[in-house]
Amino acid sequence: MSIKFPKISPYGDSAILVDYETSGYSETVHTRLSHLASMLRSQDIWKEIVPSYKSLLIVFDVSHLSLGEATGKIEDTLKSLNDSPLRQGKVIEIPVTYGGEYGPDMATIADASGLSKSEIIDIHSGEDYRVCMMGFIPGFCFLSEVPNVLQHPRHDTPRAHVPAGSVGIAGWQTGIYGLGSPGGWQIIGRTPLTLFDPSREKPFLMEAGDTVRFIPSSKALFS
Amino acid sequence: MIEVLNGGTRATVQDAGRPGYRHLGIPGSGAADKFCFALANWMVGNRWDAPAIECALGGLHLRFPEATTIALAGAEMWAQINGMNVKNFSALSVEKGDILTLSFARDGCRAYVAIAGGIKVPEFMGSSSTYLPAKFGGHEGRALRAGDHLVLSHRPREAPRKIPNGYAPQLSRHIVLRARPAPEWELMSAASQRHLFVSPFIATPETDRMGSRLRGDKIASGSVRSMTSSPLLPGTLQIPPDGQPILMLADGHCTGGYPRALQVIRADLWLLGQIAPGSQVSFRRCFTENAPKILAGRNSFYAGDSGGLIDGFAF
Repeated sequence: MSIKFPKISPYGDSAILVDYETSGYSETVHTRLSHLASMLRSQDIWKEIVPSYKSLLIVFDVSHLSLGEATGKIEDTLKSLNDSPLRQGKVIEIPVTYGGEYGPDMATIADASGLSKSEIIDIHSGEDYRVCMMGFIPGFCFLSEVPNVLQHPRHDTPRAHVPAGSVGIAGWQTGIYGLGSPGGWQIIGRTPLTLFDPSREKPFLMEAGDTVRFIPSSKALFS
Repeated sequence: MIEVLNGGTRATVQDAGRPGYRHLGIPGSGAADKFCFALANWMVGNRWDAPAIECALGGLHLRFPEATTIALAGAEMWAQINGMNVKNFSALSVEKGDILTLSFARDGCRAYVAIAGGIKVPEFMGSSSTYLPAKFGGHEGRALRAGDHLVLSHRPREAPRKIPNGYAPQLSRHIVLRARPAPEWELMSAASQRHLFVSPFIATPETDRMGSRLRGDKIASGSVRSMTSSPLLPGTLQIPPDGQPILMLADGHCTGGYPRALQVIRADLWLLGQIAPGSQVSFRRCFTENAPKILAGRNSFYAGDSGGLIDGFAF
């Protein structure tokens, strides 16, 4: 699939945003951005390289580069990108208790979609999802596209606290909260797994490139 | 060693931060106001990035079991040693058994207490800064409380220093931030664009190291309701559909899904750490060609590499 060259624009005075024009999830864009991120990382001159679904933020060192120079280097890197397939990571099974106190927004999704709770569970857990990126808090995983009928916008006012392990939907995105945090996603369930634990030898349960499979559980997962 | 008699509203150990991990969802953290933090360390003769105590809003009481040198910078909190007033933005000698008390922040939000040698706490991912949401870094990953004992490191340092006249910043309850339009700026209505640069906002009680929810004229973000999660930085102003902006701070989320209206310029990022609940916050437009000049101007006073005061530091 052919995609347009992305828009490269300043973000404040010490960062640059590379943004692809696409609506919804695009695997091609995701692949391009992943390659761009790893190429830039290997150059070892950038302060932060933060990928998201359709854009990449690069923070440059203002004491060594001007905005124009940084933009030029990023453009050159973009021109040398290829479309080789991405690394396939490990498959991670995530047990989830859907609805009830663990999924306070299940009713919202049911009303909007006209589906029953069990249909929603079947659809949401019936797909394998790719971990596209990590963030916005430690352990949070942003997954590939959720089926159309389940797509729903974020809350108008974000909740002050969403518990760790909450499984949420935001537009076409789905993901799992790695920590308790403020957040605006529609929460449909929760997993007891700890996605991020700074005291573990490997603090993160998963990384970008892995595959997530939700396993619905009717048993009491939480004690 | 230092003994904490009272942790106050929220006091944490902070350093220059944990850069380079935003792609893992780990924010840069570190002192919310890196400028005043650096000044405090400079005054006691430490490297600018030595771990120090950041006290938000006030109420911190410390006892010093050994004589040492400390320095205060940042928010004016009516500091006293053994009940006697001491000056902010100065280095102070403390004797064995002396007690430092910080009252309530009058101007600004965060005060920095640097101690000669710096505080010794284990590093997590290369930094001593406390990140409370994930309970890592700093002193046991949490805010300081009564009964805590902090160990000092005995790194080589230089003699205490005095800030030259005119070099200490004047903090105020009105925070003015110069900013540039961010990626979703064009989606804002003309009225909203105008309001962002002329209306004052008030920081609500939902203001902490992650961010500050502002209240003011409702900012309409136009037709975009559901945006793909996209990167954010400290100083990004997001507009959720309720029209009340959220300004991201040092511990702020690395990505977010609400339209991004503004990005505060680098030279003014330190001021984000001085926004207290109730502070007035206004934004002023900064043009592309001016930002590097403003930054170079500030650095010429304070950044060691640009001929300024503090070795290794830059805005």
